[in-house]
Amino acid sequence: MDLENTKAQMRKGILEYCILSILSRSSCYASDIIKELKDAKVIVVEGTLYPLLTRQKNAGLLSYRWEESPQGPPRKYYELTKEGKEYLADLDESWNELVESVNLIRTR
Amino acid sequence: MKITLSINLGGYSFNIDEDAYAELKRYLKNLEIHFAEEESSAEILSDIESRMAELFRAKLTSYKQVITIEDVNNAISVLGAPEDISNNESTSARDKFSTPGYHRMYRDPDHRMIGGVCSGMGAYWNMDPWIVRLIFVVVTMLGGLGLLVYLILYIVLPEAKTTAQKIEMKGEPVNIQNIKDSVKKEFNTVRKNMNL
Repeated sequence: MDLENTKAQMRKGILEYCILSILSRSSCYASDIIKELKDAKVIVVEGTLYPLLTRQKNAGLLSYRWEESPQGPPRKYYELTKEGKEYLADLDESWNELVESVNLIRTR
Repeated sequence: MKITLSINLGGYSFNIDEDAYAELKRYLKNLEIHFAEEESSAEILSDIESRMAELFRAKLTSYKQVITIEDVNNAISVLGAPEDISNNESTSARDKFSTPGYHRMYRDPDHRMIGGVCSGMGAYWNMDPWIVRLIFVVVTMLGGLGLLVYLILYIVLPEAKTTAQKIEMKGEPVNIQNIKDSVKKEFNTVRKNMNL
């Protein structure tokens, strides 16, 4: 067993959920999302985010618009679609269940 | 003195050292190969390029106006090597996304007698470098051709400097695990030599 690998797998599993949660508060551009994920230590290398964002957008969970930026070229702002909000509500529920299950086992 | 190039990355214009440009290009090319099977690979790449541009911008001041190789390596470590940006949830991701096993001939500086040509060829064909050396000596004695071939190969073949190149030289696929193993092996050799 490779501890680092197991940890990475765990993080990867919740990354998708974290991205949707961040976007549920307000629309963000990728670097804002990265900053939050880094502060919360759920992401190690930044590059992981971009394929996930694109895949969530292709699945209809996210949409984006271009917004002018005070310095430099326009930025891509992502936001949750109606479908994305429903998807997130589902994940919220299953996350709570997971936490409960794990706690139940750990405190037994 | 260094030559700089002017590039457009994510809508920003940068002056970048020639060596830094080569490294950046290699990295982006690797990402492109990595995401080739992804549906929107072009979009992912352009997003990553935009982020790269932001990281570069943060490095520039009025005193420092050129992107150097350190800046590129730094940005790559922040964004992650293609193997680390694994987009597959399965545990086999590491094996699946390793770079295809390049097999290239290099000069082997670790086992060289003169310039590392014979040891490099030995590593490439997986045979004892002394056999290659013997062939070179025999061909040289038969009319000096061996010496000429050796000189040409010495000029043409690059030296295997990085761990990745040393793995390529032996024809093993270059992935994180291999590099880890290889570094560990090197470390153990050093430790043995120093009698620690």
